[in-house]
Amino acid sequence: MSALAHYLEGDGLATTLVALVREHALAMRPPRALWVPFELGRPFGAPGNAAQQARVLRAALALLDRPGPGPLLEDFADADASPADDPDWRFAAALDADDVIAEARVLEELWRVASGQRGFTTVGISGFSPRAAVEFIARYFDDEPMPNPAGMARVSRARYAIDDIKAAYLETAALLGGHPSSRQLLDWFWETTRAGALLRDFNERAYRSEDRNLRLISGSLVPAERSIRFRGR
Amino acid sequence: MVLLNEVPEPERTVIAGLDLPRFEKTPFTPAAVPARRRVALLSSAGLILRGERPLLARDAGYRELPADTAEGDILCSHVSTNFDRTGFQQDLNVVLPRDRLRELAEAGDIGAAADTHYAFMGATDPAALADKAHELGGKLLALGVNTVVLAPV
Repeated sequence: MSALAHYLEGDGLATTLVALVREHALAMRPPRALWVPFELGRPFGAPGNAAQQARVLRAALALLDRPGPGPLLEDFADADASPADDPDWRFAAALDADDVIAEARVLEELWRVASGQRGFTTVGISGFSPRAAVEFIARYFDDEPMPNPAGMARVSRARYAIDDIKAAYLETAALLGGHPSSRQLLDWFWETTRAGALLRDFNERAYRSEDRNLRLISGSLVPAERSIRFRGR
Repeated sequence: MVLLNEVPEPERTVIAGLDLPRFEKTPFTPAAVPARRRVALLSSAGLILRGERPLLARDAGYRELPADTAEGDILCSHVSTNFDRTGFQQDLNVVLPRDRLRELAEAGDIGAAADTHYAFMGATDPAALADKAHELGGKLLALGVNTVVLAPV
């Protein structure tokens, strides 16, 4: 993003960057950058915390009022930067099922109700429903795999099906109540659900596959830190 | 806290070892006064509109995200699994604070929010983005946008 700031500023636009990795901003010297102390993936802070998001945005825009030349790099201080775990949080429904397809069926019903009440979902990049996405992955290496709809290569469909599975489970878990941290949500998904186990297994098979394209997507399925931890077990 | 020594391995080594482009000089465009700022947001989250082709790992293109797009019609196609997506799944403003920007415009703190926001694929080599970035820069100026807030993930 610092490079994009250089390019756009050079074109005559005034830019201000919200920087997550301080060392990168220092090295690349964008015209204006506000370093924020949030986890990767959350440049404007916590979901649902409109006041915090507004504070970050105002602070980034305030750099535009400073005289140049750049680079202008400022730290954003926020006492609310690292939301703690919710000690009372549990996945607020029963997902008990004998196999991953049955689990996905239960999850999909919970997801439909929860996302319907909220009014939107971030699931949908693969074109599958959550249950169909799970079935596509569960049968991927079978002699008779689930047919791949037209319009996307099979291996790409697998990657996006996995994105949708994760989105459906994690979105539902957050919508069912409480204030779980990202770590709590991910621990729940990867450590306790049958879908998490399915994706871990798929990732290992992709990683060791003779299919180059499968090996390529294996870096985009399971967080690297967890993938290594799982392999060490 | 995202200091490199706080990022878990192996991602820490990946981030630390990224081949970052070096810039001899930092360009500087004086900003318009707040009341004359027309502000667009630019995300590196690989955001796309529902139904669009996802941005690929080395994609140098960008996507246009009209400001009035329904929240559920903006999806994340970023290739990396090594940043949090649970925030985005709950609230788009975590990565693209378009509601906060609109509120600033309504309060008169900026002149206007742009009608369209934009997203690149953050996993692409920054040097490969130059041509498309300049194309976008020209487009923004033609639309009367003079200010851009950039946000990585």
